Amino acid sequence: MIHGTLDRPTFEAIEAYVLERMTPEERTAFEQRLAGDASLRAEVELERENIEAVELGGLSRMLMGIAQEERDEERMAVNWPRVLKYAAMVAAIVTGAIWWMVRTPLNERLYAEHFTPDPGLPVTMGITDDPAFADAMVAYKLGDLAEARTKWEPLLASAPTNDTLRYYIASAWLGEKNTAKAVPLLSTVANEPGSAFRDRARWYLFLAHVRDGDINAARALEMDSDPVHADRARIILEQLRD
Amino acid sequence: MGQRISITLSTSDSSWVDGLRRNDPAAMRGLYKAHFPAVRQYVLQNSGTVSDAQDVFQEAVIILWMNAKQGRLSTGTENGPGGFLFRVAKNKWLDVVRSAAHKHMKVVHNDQVLEHRSDAPDDIEERITRLRGVYEKLDDKCRTILDQYYYERKDLATIAAGMGVEEDSIRTIKYRCMMKLRAFRTAISGEESEAS
Repeated sequence: MIHGTLDRPTFEAIEAYVLERMTPEERTAFEQRLAGDASLRAEVELERENIEAVELGGLSRMLMGIAQEERDEERMAVNWPRVLKYAAMVAAIVTGAIWWMVRTPLNERLYAEHFTPDPGLPVTMGITDDPAFADAMVAYKLGDLAEARTKWEPLLASAPTNDTLRYYIASAWLGEKNTAKAVPLLSTVANEPGSAFRDRARWYLFLAHVRDGDINAARALEMDSDPVHADRARIILEQLRD
Repeated sequence: MGQRISITLSTSDSSWVDGLRRNDPAAMRGLYKAHFPAVRQYVLQNSGTVSDAQDVFQEAVIILWMNAKQGRLSTGTENGPGGFLFRVAKNKWLDVVRSAAHKHMKVVHNDQVLEHRSDAPDDIEERITRLRGVYEKLDDKCRTILDQYYYERKDLATIAAGMGVEEDSIRTIKYRCMMKLRAFRTAISGEESEAS
């Protein structure tokens, strides 16, 4: 019977055994443990099945992909010459690029060119004492920004002075292209001299103002003093002035 | 667990067996290219579509894969995987044809209907059903990472680089996802113990 928790070293030892990644010496020692430990044997069987479940999911996905490729090949062979299809794709890309250059305002193009999402904090075992924060960070790092935000927002409600939460909720909003929600949060962090996120908050606030076309607000941040982004901010402002 | 049934296939050219065990995409494509046409022809001749043929062929490959994982493929005859895949796919299709929704279908190649020999023992089929239920419990985030690690056999550093996160984060997420599965399985086995 399996019960309780399974610590990570034991989980990874079982994983190495199941995936046959142990050295002969490690394997012998592990099998000696197994021989005298019924609960460990049960854990091995459970983990073996769980890994097999994941593999089965992957296999099903791959087989569906191969089937789709076959169908596509048959369809192309019958209906649509390959060269024409590629030509159509190139034409669509070129048309899209021209449309982007002509139709998108300069400030939005500059924002898109310079905006790189904050990569988030490492989700290591060291921060599992705050699992709610870590779960949200996992979602953030995997691009599920709305999910991350909705997990962080209750935490911020109970700790409104937490600059980490304010900064990452703002980052999620920015990633969702919602500068109206991001700007107030970024402003509070940017105005906290002691915050570890101050410089990054100022840069993203600058970019948010650029995207919104609020060039005076962007200029008022005086990014010339920024240790990392001063040059890029100056170039952006010069291009907007031209 | 029921009695283990060994399936005798030619493994003199064992590359496809190793490929199956390693989830090698080239081996899967090789099986598809080599053995799907016969299944497609049979299903098309018996009132099915190409899509039907793909469905039963995929089921057959999954059963073959499961047998390889369980160490049930043994050496001995000149039969390769093609015969096994064709028999399983054919029997799967005959099951569909016999079902109420397909009573009107006419089976023109039914020489083995009465000898519906099971190349897919019940315990294998049950295991596949159970494992599918387990996989369903994973959310997309977990599937993304676990698929790459356990199915595609990528290392943590490669997954981390591809997703733009740190290796240690991927390691932690993998552990958390597997613990979610474990908690789900533990809850299920607890309910079964109470019920019995």
